[in-house]
Amino acid sequence: MANKANKPQLLVNGKRLDGRAFNELRPLKIEAAVLKNADGSAYLEWGNNKILAAVYGPIEAMPKHVADPAKAIIKCRYSMAPFSSVGEHSRSGPNRRAIEISKVTKEAFENVVMLNDFPGSEIDIFIEVLQSDGGTRAAGITAAAVALANAGIHMKDLIYAVSAGKIDGNIVLDFNMIEDNYSDSDMPMAISPRNNDVLLLQMDGHFTREELKKAMGMVIEAGKTITKLQKDALNEVYKKAEVKYEEGA
Amino acid sequence: MRDILIPGDMVASEPLRMENTYVENGKTFAKVLGMYEREKKTLVPLEGVWIPKIGDIVVGIITGTKNTVYEVDLNFFGRSILIGSKYERQSYKNGDVVEAIVKDVEDRKTVILSGPKILYGGTVLNIKPIKVPRVIGKNNTMIGQIADLTGCNMIVGKNGTVWLKGEGVGVATEAIRQIEAEAHISGLTERIKRMLEEKCGPRRPRTQETEGAEEKFE
Amino acid sequence: MGAMDLVKNHYIKEILARGVREDGRGMFDFRNMKIVPGVIDHAEGSAQVDLGNTRVLAGVKMQVDEPMPDTPNQGNQIMSAELLPLAHAEYETGPPSPEAIELARVVDRGIRAANCIDLEGLFLEEGKVWSVFADIYVLNYDGNLFDASTLAVMAALMNARVPDYKDGKADYTNKATPLKINSVVASTTFCKLDRSLLLDPDMHEEGAADCRITITTDGEGVRAMQKGMSGSLSTSEIEKLVDLSFDKYREVKKKLEESSRRRD
Repeated sequence: MANKANKPQLLVNGKRLDGRAFNELRPLKIEAAVLKNADGSAYLEWGNNKILAAVYGPIEAMPKHVADPAKAIIKCRYSMAPFSSVGEHSRSGPNRRAIEISKVTKEAFENVVMLNDFPGSEIDIFIEVLQSDGGTRAAGITAAAVALANAGIHMKDLIYAVSAGKIDGNIVLDFNMIEDNYSDSDMPMAISPRNNDVLLLQMDGHFTREELKKAMGMVIEAGKTITKLQKDALNEVYKKAEVKYEEGA
Repeated sequence: MRDILIPGDMVASEPLRMENTYVENGKTFAKVLGMYEREKKTLVPLEGVWIPKIGDIVVGIITGTKNTVYEVDLNFFGRSILIGSKYERQSYKNGDVVEAIVKDVEDRKTVILSGPKILYGGTVLNIKPIKVPRVIGKNNTMIGQIADLTGCNMIVGKNGTVWLKGEGVGVATEAIRQIEAEAHISGLTERIKRMLEEKCGPRRPRTQETEGAEEKFE
Repeated sequence: MGAMDLVKNHYIKEILARGVREDGRGMFDFRNMKIVPGVIDHAEGSAQVDLGNTRVLAGVKMQVDEPMPDTPNQGNQIMSAELLPLAHAEYETGPPSPEAIELARVVDRGIRAANCIDLEGLFLEEGKVWSVFADIYVLNYDGNLFDASTLAVMAALMNARVPDYKDGKADYTNKATPLKINSVVASTTFCKLDRSLLLDPDMHEEGAADCRITITTDGEGVRAMQKGMSGSLSTSEIEKLVDLSFDKYREVKKKLEESSRRRD
């Protein structure tokens, strides 16, 4: 939320710069099982975000002293490619922002992964942002949930994430990069859709009590669409072979 | 009716005791990506790691030795050990492939093996443990036909490690990979048979290379 | 080394002694090669390359920088490689490993030595030049990262568009001019196992190998070489492999040109 001085007009005639309605998601495309070596993986395009998520495990926890004999531990790495943004080249490897995102992402998944089923093990979640366009942490979580399911990890739910925020007093869903940069407030959330419990919540800017309620409602409403696309992506993996059989016979 | 269920999908609005599900607020939910068979009331996972059970026949690789205690890699998250008998003269070395039975499982993660047999030569392949029953087939039909048509000798461990030896390793590997990818689609046995016949011609005699395998401990 | 390698190392040598590779390839065959340029719109150039199951993504970014003190009239070429932990169970998070650094440097040398990037054309004004950053992102590892990475970077460079230069700054919203490429290089990586020599080793062949050599050519001459691992090669073996790398160059260059034409 920098450079407030040269803030562009983000809303024109009640529409957003990319033509979306306030509660409209950007186009979202998810594909599961895209990497050979990983136990589970997913590739996601959400607006201009391009995100690759992969899961390894459960495998033996390493180093040994981090292992919990009673349950699995989750390790998570969120990272942005040096060529992922429109502007200048960035340094590779996780910076402070990425380390924080990795931490809150891990904590969201600890809520739904049935850690007691895999004692002494570790489950590795890797989120690589190949191209960034605002909302990468939410996109990363949405992709990683699909990768975890694709890896056969025991989970209570297939979680999703999306952000809502405020532009010129209006509550708006799923910021793109420019909205992200100039909005009045931003609130990424991760939700467990079976009961709408909140597993990740970050916010900065300004919300009234009413605005907050509206933003949360918008996130949960959008979840229906996101969850369906996640499930379709997983179903597609097992339908794919069916088509291949029909063609190949 | 068969449905693909995803973690969090509701299986029943009442509490059920069913593998791969959990009960919350009196309702039953799937906890793994799986195929749900309504009539049989089973949820069979489509992905996931091997969960060791007593009596499982496994294939492993010796990775460490300490006196007569051997570490065996079973390609899963826990530890696995083989305890040699005091009277045993022959020992194992790192890289030996063994077939063995799970004698005990401690704390759900430490596997104690017994009845090992060294599998000499050949190579190994890791497949998804979930697919092992399909690779073996009902009454060994699937594995039998791969062996007959390729001339390859094979042992499939419940843990997903497959030992292969003989001329037909390449084609046998291809067949196993195909089964792994299409395990949930009916007509699999026929399809694999057709693929094998295309590649190898009609059945050919199996080489007797497994004769080298020796019984080790009691 | 994983448990699997303990078995594979022996098996691969055993069948190689009979002249057979695990996947049935000839000794000097590449695996299936797939080049997709232009996968990352935010980058100035990009390409994803599959070499068998090895998958590498290369991204090219350009930015306005100061020139290096010893080359005040030239742009800068900066290469880096990341063996992403999602690419293989044994890849770890953390600072670049010696393997990743070697990979980036070998790819960099081939491309630099052949003047693939027209660095002199990247001079902007006194004290200002373009820096070309090429980042190698390994997404799935199954051996021979050298050839896959050189190919991916080459394809990404051929796909790159230079941002407009306005008021001493880069205008990333306008990228019309293609980056000028002087020549195309291709690398060929061979392994030696016992007495056998083979091209484009997969992960297990690399694991079993005694020795590895990467030869980068531009079709006219050898531009860079790197021998790796503790085994040795005779001078006649090296000569043989150099001849082979010239043959393979034509094959790879054709693929590169096909993929960049498809794009345009």
